[in-house]
Amino acid sequence: MIQPEAAISTDPEAVPHTLEIVGLRKVFGARGNAGGVVAVNDVSFSIARGEVLGLVGESGSGKSTIARLIAHLHTPTAGEIRVNGQPVPARLRGAALRHFRRQVQMIFQDPYASLNPLHPVRYTLSRPLKIHRLSRGTMDAQIGALLERVGLAPASTYASKRSFELSGGQRQRVGIARALAASPDLILADEPTSALDVSIRLDVMNLMLDLKDQEGLSMLFITHDLAGARYMSDRVAVLYAGTLVEIGPATEVIDRPQHPYTQLLKSAAPKPDAGLVPEEIAARGEVPDLKALPPGCPFEPRCPHAMPECRSGLPQMYDVGHGHTARCLLHDPAIRLNRGGAVGAG
Amino acid sequence: MTVISAPTAPRRTWKNTALGRFFSSPRSVLGAGLLTLFVLLALLAPVLTPYRPNSMEFDAFMGFSAQHPLGTTALGQDIFAQFVYGARLTLLVGFVAGLIATFLSVTFGLAAAYFGGRIDEAINTLINVFLVLPGLPLIIVAAAFIRGGGVWPVILVIGLTGWAFGARVLRSQALALRERDFIAAAVVSGEGALRIIFVEMLPNMAGLIAANFFGAALYAVLSEAALSFIGVGDVSQVTWGTMLYWAQAKGALLQGAWWWVALPGLSIALLGTSFAFLNFAVDEISNPRLAGGRLNLPSRVPAAVAAPVAGDALLSITGLDVGYAAPTGVVRAVRDVTLDVQPGELLGVAGESGCGKSTLAFAATRLLDPPGGVLGGSVRLAGRDLLALSPEELRRVRWKEFSIVFQASMNVLNPVLTIREQVYDAMQAHGVTDRDRLNTRARELFDLVGIQTSYLDAYPHQLSGGMKQRVVIAIALALEPKLIVMDEPTTALDVVVQRQILQEINAVRKRLGISIIFITHDLSLLVEMSDRVAIMYAGEVVELAPAHRLYAHPAHPYTQQLMNSFPPMTGPRTRRSGIPGRPPSLSAEIIGCPFFERCNTRMPGVCDVQPLQTFPVAENQTAACFLYDPAVPAAVKESAVKDSADRAGVVRAGAVRDSQTVLATRPRPSSPGGES
Repeated sequence: MIQPEAAISTDPEAVPHTLEIVGLRKVFGARGNAGGVVAVNDVSFSIARGEVLGLVGESGSGKSTIARLIAHLHTPTAGEIRVNGQPVPARLRGAALRHFRRQVQMIFQDPYASLNPLHPVRYTLSRPLKIHRLSRGTMDAQIGALLERVGLAPASTYASKRSFELSGGQRQRVGIARALAASPDLILADEPTSALDVSIRLDVMNLMLDLKDQEGLSMLFITHDLAGARYMSDRVAVLYAGTLVEIGPATEVIDRPQHPYTQLLKSAAPKPDAGLVPEEIAARGEVPDLKALPPGCPFEPRCPHAMPECRSGLPQMYDVGHGHTARCLLHDPAIRLNRGGAVGAG
Repeated sequence: MTVISAPTAPRRTWKNTALGRFFSSPRSVLGAGLLTLFVLLALLAPVLTPYRPNSMEFDAFMGFSAQHPLGTTALGQDIFAQFVYGARLTLLVGFVAGLIATFLSVTFGLAAAYFGGRIDEAINTLINVFLVLPGLPLIIVAAAFIRGGGVWPVILVIGLTGWAFGARVLRSQALALRERDFIAAAVVSGEGALRIIFVEMLPNMAGLIAANFFGAALYAVLSEAALSFIGVGDVSQVTWGTMLYWAQAKGALLQGAWWWVALPGLSIALLGTSFAFLNFAVDEISNPRLAGGRLNLPSRVPAAVAAPVAGDALLSITGLDVGYAAPTGVVRAVRDVTLDVQPGELLGVAGESGCGKSTLAFAATRLLDPPGGVLGGSVRLAGRDLLALSPEELRRVRWKEFSIVFQASMNVLNPVLTIREQVYDAMQAHGVTDRDRLNTRARELFDLVGIQTSYLDAYPHQLSGGMKQRVVIAIALALEPKLIVMDEPTTALDVVVQRQILQEINAVRKRLGISIIFITHDLSLLVEMSDRVAIMYAGEVVELAPAHRLYAHPAHPYTQQLMNSFPPMTGPRTRRSGIPGRPPSLSAEIIGCPFFERCNTRMPGVCDVQPLQTFPVAENQTAACFLYDPAVPAAVKESAVKDSADRAGVVRAGAVRDSQTVLATRPRPSSPGGES
């Protein structure tokens, strides 16, 4: 059955969104006013309590940078990040930083790189508990409970192990337990399954979904895999060259993509359930240089529907119904009228 | 929620521990032994000799005697007393100056790497200044200014000038560590800067720091000797260096007292050697790849000469066994694999990490390096046994008859040569030298793989990853081989570029009629593009079938469960489960079916007891599964399939309880029992 979609509330009296980012921008390597790589270009979205937002894009699309900006590992060039309705200042220190770290936790892509090979699992999991003064009862019992929650039982066997004694899936479970230890409100999961074997991926994704359901966690699930995003997410956002091009309910965005880039992405993806005949794709060129983005829509140079209008400024997000918006002029009512048709669903 | 059974810990034998590795290397034992000897000499000096090193109470140039085992100096000092007391100061110089230099290296290196920005720039400038200052002359000048005061000024000068090289090495190591995800993870956990530097980063550099210390100590001992020998520093102190100075000044060799020179000189050399050995040993322990111990594999047992029945196959792999020598024994990565490739066929090989698919590709193309080796079987390309070719014969066949494209092969392009030179290279190596022909062929190849010919004169860094991979494929096609082995050729690429390249590979294959072995972990991709698919698990081919057959009616339970592990792109969003557990260790002998532990339709008493065989399932479809063994009674098979259905029911009920969501499961693609 389809998982319940989180209602996107506009009522100001309602519970604040766990995460809101507004006009987020990150330029790397800019000296003064000159150049620099625009990794994230004016991105805005929000994640409601208990919601999973899938963030989809290819390498270099800025999806990991967004997670690192939210996690306060990088400082935004511009824009605002709000956690539980509270703006996060650009410089966080001391108690305010600790408080922020407790609310926002992260799961990393490569479970082989994200655990210090020298520390046993017990140490890795004890640190968040100590830093955030969350010890209740004995430390060992708490660590045991954490390990069992992520499916590593018997906990006593795993607590003393170092990362090289664990398989990839087990390491990623430890990474998830570390993120859970601080009982955060928001988990940023940066491609948590792409380094894992196919047969293990589903169980790790299921674990994350179970934990989300049990704890009411909000989650940003970053992936390059459309099928994985569809499996995990309530809503899906698609990034291209640092720009948000489409966002909406997962089944809407992936089953009926409205932006030509999302349509390309979908037709290029292997479809295990769609038969044996691969789709032919006709994309031109490659992702633009982030130092010299096209003046208008970043996808215009490759887009099969490109029009002269696409080159004059970044298009706005157009509402295409069902809480689904796409940044494409084909959905501009005036242009639709001119062309006398809509862009077909991929 | 799936509970994964605890893994068995890898065997932690004595030889696998750091100390065990230390003591099993002759270099480290020799280094530690020598150093211990010198330290004992220094500590036990008052016990070993009754004399003071500086008392000049004896006659000059006395020979060996019971009172003076090594005679006396020109000034009437006991040489043996000088030697053992000199060891004290020489070692002190080595250790203390080494510690000072190492401390400075660590502090500056880590601070530069961790804080970055301005601090990094300032420290880096300082390091560079110290590096370009000529070391020994600087020490001579500095030491000449602070005469007297014993050995301490020399120690300070050596320590303060000798840190820059170590700091640079540690800085780059720390910079690499800084980028690792576990440091980001610690930051996200809320750890402070000091704890990250000292608890997360520093211990990971322990080996390098220890090696750095021994290197600095070696430098200090040699510098002190050199300084003392030329008379800079305090020559009234007794060190091995000042012994040399006095021996030289008083003409020891002219007087025939050669041991006065030889003993301290040799000792300095031996102490230096011990530090150098320890430096190397620590390096070896912290980076086991350097150890490079020779491990022996049994040599290949060729397969019994296969009757050329499958005469139409282009490549036939028969009973191939491949292993890696490991300290714990042989890891059998490929086990008795038999496969053939027909002319013009695209054979897909799928499996998860560690299943042996890449090892199979390396072994079949003779690219396997030690510690890997072929243990048995044969690989015949157009009737010729590739495994029996001499290196020269292999060179002639490789690239002309078959070529290889690897996952990271875009990194094989040489960054300082133009693409054109690299495309020409393979052709020139096989005797095509005419420039016009080379040019024409290069243009043809680029058209074939969809790159503009203007890129021929570009350098690799000017191309994107996808274009570089196309260049590599073009090079692989250059001599029109009959077979190309592609090992995850598109895995590192984005999905759109991957699709474009796959389309081109397929078009080229159809046009030229070449055969391709395409190896990947992505089964859904493989099913779309292959003629036949081989599924590997734990080193064995567990299922082989035409792609459409494998898709519609997968026979092996592993294939079925693997196909079900891909989230779907259409239809309702439902929960699915992966495959619990993990593949067996390949260093142990596997009795029965390697998938037994994880299988949902296993038959205890059959699958875990009998030697595994491959059984026909349908036309052109085989599976290594006892469900298709005609000798196993039908009742046993039916009960296994029924149990599996029951278990699936229990899992579903559990999932419903857990997530309070009603979930439907996709019907299994086929009932495995029904096929046989």
